[in-house]
Amino acid sequence: MTGEPQAPVVLSVRGLRKRYGDLEAVKDVSFDIREGETYGLLGPNGAGKSTTISIVCGLLRRDAGEVTVDGKPIDTGAVAAKAGIGVVPQDLAIYPDLSARENLTFFGRLYGLGGARLKSRIDTCLELVGLADRANERTDHFSGGMQRRLNIAIGMLHEPRLLLLDEPTVGVDPQSRNAILESIAALGREGMAVLYTTHYMEEAERLCDRVGIIDAGEIRAEGTRRELVALVGQRDEVRLTATGDLGAATKAVGALPGVGGAVVRDGVLELVVDDARGMLPRLLDAVDKAGATVRGVDVVQPDLEAVFLHLTGRALRDAS
Amino acid sequence: MLTDLRVAVLIAAKDLRQRLRDRSAILVSIVAPLGLAIIFSGLLGNTTAFHARYVVANLDGGQLATVLRKDVIGALVTVKVADVTDAATRDEAIALVTDGKADAAFVIPAGFTAAINAGQGATIEIAGARNATLETEVARAVAQRFGDGVVSVQLAVATAAHLKGAPLDGPATGAIVTAAAAATPAVNLTDDVARLRQLSMATYFSASMAILFLFFSAQIGIVSLFDERRAGTLARILAGPIRPWSVLFGKLLAGFAMGVVSITVLVTATTLAIGADWGPPLGVALIGVTAIIAAIGISTLVASFAKTGESAGAAGSAVAITLGVLGGSFTVSSQSPDSMATIALFTPHGWFLRGLGELHGAGATAADALPAAGVLLAMGLATLALGLVRTRKLVTAR
Ligand SMILES: Nc1ncnc2c1ncn2[C@@H]1O[C@H](COP(=O)(O)OP(=O)(O)O)[C@@H](O)[C@H]1O
Ligand SMILES: [Mg+2]
Repeated sequence: MTGEPQAPVVLSVRGLRKRYGDLEAVKDVSFDIREGETYGLLGPNGAGKSTTISIVCGLLRRDAGEVTVDGKPIDTGAVAAKAGIGVVPQDLAIYPDLSARENLTFFGRLYGLGGARLKSRIDTCLELVGLADRANERTDHFSGGMQRRLNIAIGMLHEPRLLLLDEPTVGVDPQSRNAILESIAALGREGMAVLYTTHYMEEAERLCDRVGIIDAGEIRAEGTRRELVALVGQRDEVRLTATGDLGAATKAVGALPGVGGAVVRDGVLELVVDDARGMLPRLLDAVDKAGATVRGVDVVQPDLEAVFLHLTGRALRDAS
Repeated sequence: MLTDLRVAVLIAAKDLRQRLRDRSAILVSIVAPLGLAIIFSGLLGNTTAFHARYVVANLDGGQLATVLRKDVIGALVTVKVADVTDAATRDEAIALVTDGKADAAFVIPAGFTAAINAGQGATIEIAGARNATLETEVARAVAQRFGDGVVSVQLAVATAAHLKGAPLDGPATGAIVTAAAAATPAVNLTDDVARLRQLSMATYFSASMAILFLFFSAQIGIVSLFDERRAGTLARILAGPIRPWSVLFGKLLAGFAMGVVSITVLVTATTLAIGADWGPPLGVALIGVTAIIAAIGISTLVASFAKTGESAGAAGSAVAITLGVLGGSFTVSSQSPDSMATIALFTPHGWFLRGLGELHGAGATAADALPAAGVLLAMGLATLALGLVRTRKLVTAR
């Protein structure tokens, strides 16, 4: 990737497969995460992100493939190797009838921490997630955002080599979300390898050094933001703000030659097209004929959202 | 191995902290059984609910034997505490007891009067029905009281408490009573009976409530496993560097600790508050610990059929109450038919009450609790093994 010497690989995932009955939830997923690197798995609900995380942390059996952390194989019986992994589950996993400090103490001890080191780690983590002044309150008195932050603090408490974060900001107010993203960015700087799953394009762009775009159990593309956006190539992303029959309009423009994908989001028609300038008249014409009226036109730099659209023909957030 | 144990203790300690913070757990483990024991013993202790049926085989017919039959045992009829019938032979008297037609038999041996007049020892046999602990206790006390009133003689009262069809083989050695008092006025006797009744009622209800609610506190550990699974904390624990079995073990340990707390508080409180007499502490501990293991085993097995914490808790409670009914936790033993006594032997409740009963025979020691403790332990280990095999799926990876 870059010219500088590469940090050692912490997590290596090779050819991972998992089937639930007839559904193949994870199909041949492979990726590596290096020391200090934050890797994002970006994909819609049901893409297989949580399944991948559960296998990587040894909670779920895989049907095929290999997972190693620092070269040590991980599976459901790998007791010692699991000490190097921290998990932040997608759904809150904290005790509501214990205080934040008691929650941290319990899970810290479970990972073998104790004494002064446990205490100092707890204080550090509480500080990092902004809960230091509420440490001794029962967590069922916390707001949703505070509970989420504690959920994260528990995962990073024992300073794991690899931290797995499964959509840690879902359902969090913008302020808490900001705090969460900042504390995670700090972990990457400290040398932790971080696997971060999300269906928010902005989070992946902001936080992750590299992103794997996952859909229907497959990683469709992988790379830095710049590398991924390059996949869209010379194509442009066009956003048409319109009123009227947007469904019909989407269908109409989607059928035009040179249009890579078309979706509606919040009253905006989003398209990936070969050449925005040349195609614009035909696009406006098609929308008009379909019974909608264009109120505004934006031609934007493609982002990861556009990459997803380009790869799958669907919008990230609507794909579920 | 050591770390597995450490993890189990860590999980159990965390669970206990949560449970002690949870009012409903304290209610079910301590407040409810204690309250009910006090209420029941208060209610029934003041009623004339106690009524025994005695049979006397007076094989002697001498002067002292007649005093015992007419003035002492007869006084029980006068104060309406008992019905008394006579039997011609020892076998006939014992048959009445084994057939459930009498609660206890007094057997006054031939040569009784002569032996005592000659200054030798004599033995009165008391044969009590298995399900009539209290009635047998009263009979024994009456006979002993008579011994106390007989001048300068030794009288042995051999109690065959809890007779269950087994023949009595000759006069057993019982408590040797040396007495110096003179007469045996009926008034003193009834006082004695009243005192005994009060004590035994308190003990009986304390024990009944203890074993009944033990099932509620012992299942708390295993039920919380389901709750933790739903809350996601179980997955979080299992993602840690631990072996799955240590989680199960921690939950069992938590149930055990809750059981110990519950029984200890109940024994102490009922002893102090309502004068319950549990018996030799070591024996009570033996019966208590094995009963906790039985309660944990059965709750684990029951919970293994459930899908959620709620259904596990509900099923556990239903089983606890059913076993309590069958095991005699809700019935005064003297009023239950003999078939119930047989059914009770299939329940830990029955064996718990029986084991405590064994601790109240004349000269009983902790060792007398061993058979019942053995049965409780066997029940516990068998159901626990089955339950764990079935519950294993909760903590192993899919
Ligand atoms: N325990 C399960 N049993 C059956 N299907 C499951 C199970 N868990 C997840 N799935 C299915 O597998 C797919 C991937 O799910 P998941 O890994 O949770 O996706 P994501 O985290 O990306 O939203 C989905 O279609 C989901 O419905
Ligand atoms: Mg998920």
